[in-house]
Amino acid sequence: MSVFSQNRSVPIFIGILILFALGVTVMSEAYGTGSISTSFTKVLGMTLCLCLAALAMDLVWGYCGILSLGHFAFFGLGGYGFGMWLMTARTEAVVRANLAEGVIPATEAEISDATALQIFSVVGAEDWPWMWAASDNLFLTLVLIVAVPGVLALVFGWFAFRSRVTGVYLSILTQAMTLALSLYLFQNDTGLRGNNGLSGLQNIPGAAEIGQDRISIWFFWASAVALGLTYIGAAWLISGKFGNIIRGIRENEQRVRFLGYRVEAYKLFIFTLTGMLCGVAGALYYPQAGIINPDEIAPIASIYLAVWVAIGGRGRLYGAVIGAAVVSLLSTYFTGGRAPDIDLGMFVIDWVDWWPVLLGVGFVLVTLFAPKGLGGLVDYIIRKPSREDRQ
Amino acid sequence: MSTLLEVQGISVTFDGFRAINNLSFEIGLPELRAIIGPNGAGKTTFMDIVTGKTRPDTGTVRWGDMGHSLLALSEAQIAQEGIGRKFQRPTVFEDQTVRDNLQVALKKPRGPLAAIFDKTSSPERARIAEIAEEIGLPDDLNTLAGILSHGQKQWLEIGMLLAQDPKLLLVDEPAAGMTNEEREHTTALLKRLAESHAVVVVEHDMEFVRRLDCRVTVLHEGSVLAEGSLGHVMADERVVEVYLGR
Repeated sequence: MSVFSQNRSVPIFIGILILFALGVTVMSEAYGTGSISTSFTKVLGMTLCLCLAALAMDLVWGYCGILSLGHFAFFGLGGYGFGMWLMTARTEAVVRANLAEGVIPATEAEISDATALQIFSVVGAEDWPWMWAASDNLFLTLVLIVAVPGVLALVFGWFAFRSRVTGVYLSILTQAMTLALSLYLFQNDTGLRGNNGLSGLQNIPGAAEIGQDRISIWFFWASAVALGLTYIGAAWLISGKFGNIIRGIRENEQRVRFLGYRVEAYKLFIFTLTGMLCGVAGALYYPQAGIINPDEIAPIASIYLAVWVAIGGRGRLYGAVIGAAVVSLLSTYFTGGRAPDIDLGMFVIDWVDWWPVLLGVGFVLVTLFAPKGLGGLVDYIIRKPSREDRQ
Repeated sequence: MSTLLEVQGISVTFDGFRAINNLSFEIGLPELRAIIGPNGAGKTTFMDIVTGKTRPDTGTVRWGDMGHSLLALSEAQIAQEGIGRKFQRPTVFEDQTVRDNLQVALKKPRGPLAAIFDKTSSPERARIAEIAEEIGLPDDLNTLAGILSHGQKQWLEIGMLLAQDPKLLLVDEPAAGMTNEEREHTTALLKRLAESHAVVVVEHDMEFVRRLDCRVTVLHEGSVLAEGSLGHVMADERVVEVYLGR
């Protein structure tokens, strides 16, 4: 396949990903030695989802030059979409079990009402909001996980690109989008349980007897497969003429226009596609996290996504993955209370508080001294294959 | 010779400055035309209007046998109609190879899906090789455009224009930064193209215009000052005045 010959990173990346996934499985509690705890397996699986979102960010920013600071909104929508189904099915199972103990068997309507009460009493409601209409249908839910972020990206992008909003103005607009969505979801009466968010997402319906140790490995593998497939797909997308055109847009979009290409259509395509990819990543992430609330899609989350890609090295697919993996794992380490505090006598560096400072310093240093990011280091290790080698 | 492009009475004002003032212009197919004029005469703005980058305040721009208006079309649609443009400062995609630059320009369906599933056929490969030969870059197909010399970038951009295969070519200062030998080659190429295309050349260099040996339009303060052979317009006192400042 030409994708593999034109992108040497693809076979290497897929190889490393498979080895990594097998290694984690062999060391997992459910299927192996147990040297990796279930909770850390979840952290690793979530990291793969973040890598997938970073890959999408790299396509839209690193390759097409659209600095979207709102892609985490799509990630959150995917999470909410799948979360609604998980929560409905799980709560309904619990309610059904409870009502079965009664003398008179409960009707379906009664079960539905009781489930709604169970889910929404926390925000003082008892009826199903309209946006939960598909939450009892797994197939429809899976469609919506991709479709809802896709439609939002399409509508938002259509207005923004049609008006030729570019550069920092577009970045601000995308920040406004994710902020607006976050604030909207924070309200109790919007139907998604306000600041409580959706919880208990780690409980997979119909799998009550199966322990979290096994479920964590399943989601880990699902995340790894999604990341691997996206990597191959992204490499294929950028290796052909389409890739040349979007890189041309990044460099000089007016020039691309005068060649007869509708730049807006290309931007909209890549913006929507990456929005949908983020939706998939979010849908896989939150069952591993167990909970989603509107804070997840606060503007800062999307900025982190851009920081990961910048640190990893934008414009190269493995750069985005390296950046997201390294920074998010370090973040887990430093903010999880595992990093030893540094006692300077009169002053103690407490990493939970100082991690953002370290990240900020790291970001500045990478920007100043390694503008190609961590991925750029690969150029030093191996001679970068020139185009002659590839063709 | 039929009229390909007809510009009628266009005016455009930027912040009170009248860049184009009731300009009318016509070019047939095939034809070679040189546009000359001092800085600020409106040459680039004229090209911006024809290619859809700038909308005129008044006037009409008609295209082709049917004479339909270009004013409602976007830049991309106008380019697809068959108007190609070469910029004054060479603008090629610097982090892509010469081959990729030519391939992107090659006349083919322009939609995203067409680009995703694009396969380069062997006639297209041959066409790219042919263009590379024409522009003197046959051994540089795999070279990044960014490391070409200024003159080579000029050539590459001309090559992209050829690959686009437009009906009308708008060429802004093609000879800038070229050696004498390259200028001769450019002149020959433009003349040959003008046998089957409409070619508009904007140029400062009188010697180059003389070599083109074509009809000349002199712009001044946004409108046509004189039109005719180079000898004819240079005999015009007003042209001498604006050009030499006498």
